[in-house]
Amino acid sequence: MIPADPAEREALAGEYVLGTLTASEARGIERAMDTDDALREAVLAWEARLAPLTEFAQPETPPPGLWERIAGALDPPAAAAPAPAPRPSGIWRIWALGASAVAAALAALLLLSPKPEPRLTTVLLTQGDQPAWLVEADRGALRLAALNPRPLPPDRVMQIWALPPGATAPTSLGLIPAGEGRLTVAPEGVRPEPGMLIEITLEPPGGSPAGQPTGPVLFVGRLVVATGS
Amino acid sequence: MDTTSVLDLPGLLAAVAAGDRAALRIVYARQSTRLFGVANAILRERDVAADALQEAFLRIAGRAGQFDPARDNAEAWLAAIVRHAALDMLRARGREMPTDDPMLGEEAEAAQAEARMIATAEGRSLRDCLARLEPRSRAGIVLAFVHGLSHPQIAERLDTSPGTVRSWIRRGLIALRGGLA
Repeated sequence: MIPADPAEREALAGEYVLGTLTASEARGIERAMDTDDALREAVLAWEARLAPLTEFAQPETPPPGLWERIAGALDPPAAAAPAPAPRPSGIWRIWALGASAVAAALAALLLLSPKPEPRLTTVLLTQGDQPAWLVEADRGALRLAALNPRPLPPDRVMQIWALPPGATAPTSLGLIPAGEGRLTVAPEGVRPEPGMLIEITLEPPGGSPAGQPTGPVLFVGRLVVATGS
Repeated sequence: MDTTSVLDLPGLLAAVAAGDRAALRIVYARQSTRLFGVANAILRERDVAADALQEAFLRIAGRAGQFDPARDNAEAWLAAIVRHAALDMLRARGREMPTDDPMLGEEAEAAQAEARMIATAEGRSLRDCLARLEPRSRAGIVLAFVHGLSHPQIAERLDTSPGTVRSWIRRGLIALRGGLA
């Protein structure tokens, strides 16, 4: 039972956030917050006021494998989403998995400025899953913007590649001029389409001599439709 | 300093709300060390703290739609979910987690902690307000918030009664509320 007295309500909201209420008192506050907007606001205000105190907790690396446990609890194997239909082989397939999902994250962000026609976008990620390049298809062209520019080894260049769904070999989309954080490429013979993989590799000056990627993959992502809802 | 990216925490939480597991994984990659520290400070057993962090991430996945970037600070919002998951676990275990850690609530870790805390304007204001409280009110608030101690546990450490601790803490909260805008 949540009291009517304002001072008492305020104190209970603070104690709920502090964690000093008993289990049943805490449940009572949580239930009441569903319908009692003022109480909910009081609790949120206390969360905001006291939040800096969390810095008193010493940061500590969680045990290895915890993310996998969380992922397993969120999406038990039986309920896993269906796999995308055609899959390219080798390294492309490995990269396709995580990258497409983060491209979907970007799609969600683009809802903030919905446009009537479907747009193809992706975020190219590093090996460590850090976002590195934003890619957006604009009719037949691709616009790229660096999110987090990093210096390159002096004698190396970045080369962009595209692998349309079903294709077995990537097509070069050209080199990224040194120090360039924004560029548009208009590939010949390759049209941006959903599911197309985009990757950037590290190559010798002038680009890969083999017509195929020869250096390490720096960034990769897969184009998806940024849908509104 | 991190370069701000399109996929900053509020953006990632919007994606999590849309069901994006990869975005949640990035949140985990960026925040799990800080958040595991928050759970571990309350539970003081790594296995139990890991269970609490797991439960917290299930809640984050389920409630990301309630995150409001205009009102909520993303790091604080995440930490609050972790704290309450850890507190729930603590209460489910009858608050039996060991409290005899000699470092608990002592000054040894305080310098580092204070440095992290005053990195933000909100942290500096809170630090200044806490500094003006009676020491016993301040100790009660920190021991409860950071380490999940109950009124009886704090009373034992401060050598007084649980009822007295509760009134010290309430007095401290009232002063904080008045001191922080």
